[in-house]
Amino acid sequence: MTGTVAPPDERRAWGWVAHLRSGGTTPWSAWTGPAERAGRFLPGAQQLELLRRLNESAGPSPVPAELADRVLHASAPGRGRPDLELVGAESGSAFGPRPVDPADLPADELVRVASSLLADDVVATGLPVPEGRPLARPWRRHYRLVGDPALADPLRAQLIARGRPPGGARPRIIVLGAPADRMLADAFTARALDCGGPSWAEWVAILAERDQLAPRVDLARTAGVWAERTSPDQVTLVLDPQRVGRLVGVRSGLAVPPPLPAEAVDLARRVAAVLALLVTPPTRAALLRETLAPLLVGAPGPVLGVPEEHRAWLTGRAERMREQLRRAGYPVVGGATGGDSLDGVLPVYATGGVVDVADDGVLGLALAVLLRSARSGPEVIA
Amino acid sequence: MTPASPPLTEGPRRVLLHVGTPKTGTSYLQDVLFRNRELLAEQGLCYPADRFDGHFLAALDLMRLPWGGLETQAIGAWDRLAEQVRACQGTAVVSHEILATASRSQVGRALESLGADDGPDKTEIHVILSVRDLVRQIPAEWQENVKHRSTLSYARFLERIQDPERASRISTWFWGVQEIPDILNRWGHELPPERIHLVTVPPPGAPPGLLWERFSHAFGLAGLDLDLTEERANPSLGVPETALVRRINRAANRVLDPSDYRPLVRELLAHQTLSHRTSSPRLRLPPDVHPWAVDLERSWVEEIEERGYDVVGDVADLLGVPPDDAYADPDSPSERAVAGAAVDAIRALLLENSRLRGVEARLAGELHETRAALERAYLRPSYLLRERVVRKLESTGVGRGAMSVYRRARGRSSRSA
Repeated sequence: MTGTVAPPDERRAWGWVAHLRSGGTTPWSAWTGPAERAGRFLPGAQQLELLRRLNESAGPSPVPAELADRVLHASAPGRGRPDLELVGAESGSAFGPRPVDPADLPADELVRVASSLLADDVVATGLPVPEGRPLARPWRRHYRLVGDPALADPLRAQLIARGRPPGGARPRIIVLGAPADRMLADAFTARALDCGGPSWAEWVAILAERDQLAPRVDLARTAGVWAERTSPDQVTLVLDPQRVGRLVGVRSGLAVPPPLPAEAVDLARRVAAVLALLVTPPTRAALLRETLAPLLVGAPGPVLGVPEEHRAWLTGRAERMREQLRRAGYPVVGGATGGDSLDGVLPVYATGGVVDVADDGVLGLALAVLLRSARSGPEVIA
Repeated sequence: MTPASPPLTEGPRRVLLHVGTPKTGTSYLQDVLFRNRELLAEQGLCYPADRFDGHFLAALDLMRLPWGGLETQAIGAWDRLAEQVRACQGTAVVSHEILATASRSQVGRALESLGADDGPDKTEIHVILSVRDLVRQIPAEWQENVKHRSTLSYARFLERIQDPERASRISTWFWGVQEIPDILNRWGHELPPERIHLVTVPPPGAPPGLLWERFSHAFGLAGLDLDLTEERANPSLGVPETALVRRINRAANRVLDPSDYRPLVRELLAHQTLSHRTSSPRLRLPPDVHPWAVDLERSWVEEIEERGYDVVGDVADLLGVPPDDAYADPDSPSERAVAGAAVDAIRALLLENSRLRGVEARLAGELHETRAALERAYLRPSYLLRERVVRKLESTGVGRGAMSVYRRARGRSSRSA
């Protein structure tokens, strides 16, 4: 098929393909140069526009040829618009979806293709080599650290790295919490980095309709489970992550990671959906947390915010939770400026939180991560 | 009419790639092929599948298509299927209707993995598409959407599929699996027309065995003594029943997890209960949409005839039957009929609930017996002595150290959580 002479419109399209392969950024509508057919079929408008955007993002150093090739051969995963033809370079068939000007494609369509490529990258990179686990210090304080996953999980990992694994005889159960809106966003982030799922707005709406908190947000439930498993007097509610260190005998150096911005969480969620068809669930969660998430840390942008229409519900649920915790009588650490108060579980609704994540922002981040991954190689990004 | 693979054991390696379309008897065909695969293998026809839905999983994998929690089972399924196909010596069949929606790059990957590019020994690929008129396909697709949690009204569905922009997910999927010339542009653009076979579904009122005869001819199965018992079917619903399922979707979608929806709504309610109400009016194309559908079909028929594909059946079957005077609108159904369907649904749910209560009671009994046995074990003097020793040791630092060494020596920690 590659040897035959293509019609002029198709030759113009092949010219654009060659232009993009060589790092060009000219939009399709402004392109005129022809070239001979260089493949079985023209790549779709989504793939071509994604490559053009990558070229724009790449700056002076070009997009690696291997990445350009992968983009042009990729297909958008899942349900959505099929690969579209370029307007002005139609195959001549009266059938199929209408051709488009790639510049008019919504960012969501480009993110679909990019998320598939990122999923391939993450699988190719694999998991980082696990660091040797230090011997447990015999004099360490015994503890269990549970609660808000975005706070408890990284702090626990740091403690393990310092020879202070959880467990031991009669451990102190530290139930770590935060304002309910922060915990809700943290639980969604943990879910996105575990199995993907619906968008933030959809997820919050589902919880509100069910009048149900995500399990790790429900501190009263978590504390109750551990009180039953051990003893109520072993449970402490901590509403200030900075104070965890002293409770477990570490004076300094525990860092509380900032929450991932909304766009990074959404990108992880979309990559997770593709990874579901590439690896098993435990491997997917490990790849998302240990391989993809480090690439997203430090990304700019606002964090997730609870939609206005669900704030009354969340406040009501948080007040019920505060009452349940008060009745249970667990000691409280933190939660108020300079003091301890169960009011620390009530939502604060900081301004600037994102309700509907902008696809343009997610696309920008996806482009940056794709480029970083392609330039660094698997061994560096891991 | 040229059979795609006659006779099965002669000639080059062939792959019959059946890529659609949905609602054309594909489940029945796949069931027959699966149940008779050993007999077919003896005849030189290979249907490589370890489970009934093996090719469905392979298609999900090829197209990276999430589908109701089946993703894990689909991992690597296409490559495994392609490897089995390449290992076949005679003719191999790959069949799933959702392959109709594959993109050109996915088609390229599929053909390459099946051996279409293997130089002089390359596999002879035949694409088979079973097709049915839009007059029946459109209502069937809407109903299928409703059975997959959709809350979209019939009117909105029809609007979306008639929108020339095709920007919505509904219309993208619909045309991806139904627009015959476009499906064949994607799957057949490198194949000569004689290797593209269309099997038309006979019009209503045709003899019941006619569709199978056509499949049998296209796949080269004529004369084989196959078990044709119908074990898997995707039964259709009437108008009030479909309206009821849509109302259930609107009420329950957000509170019912997908993993529960399939067994409870799709299987128990739709397939096992509501589909038995066969006296309800059937879902049809509205009379005002009919001319648009027939015009479209006419353009498809002209295109198919011009391209010179092999047609098994009659291409005129695609023109559909004239509109029915007694049209029943599922967006404004007879409330009496919906209530009747709802009572049947409640009855089915009560029976299922009763069955599950029985299961729960049995399991509770088994748990109780297990606990009692465990407690008897705990009361043994040797266990009580060991428990006393452990408690004593845990109360001192030295003792805890000794316990830690002991647990490590055993290779596990009974205290880990």
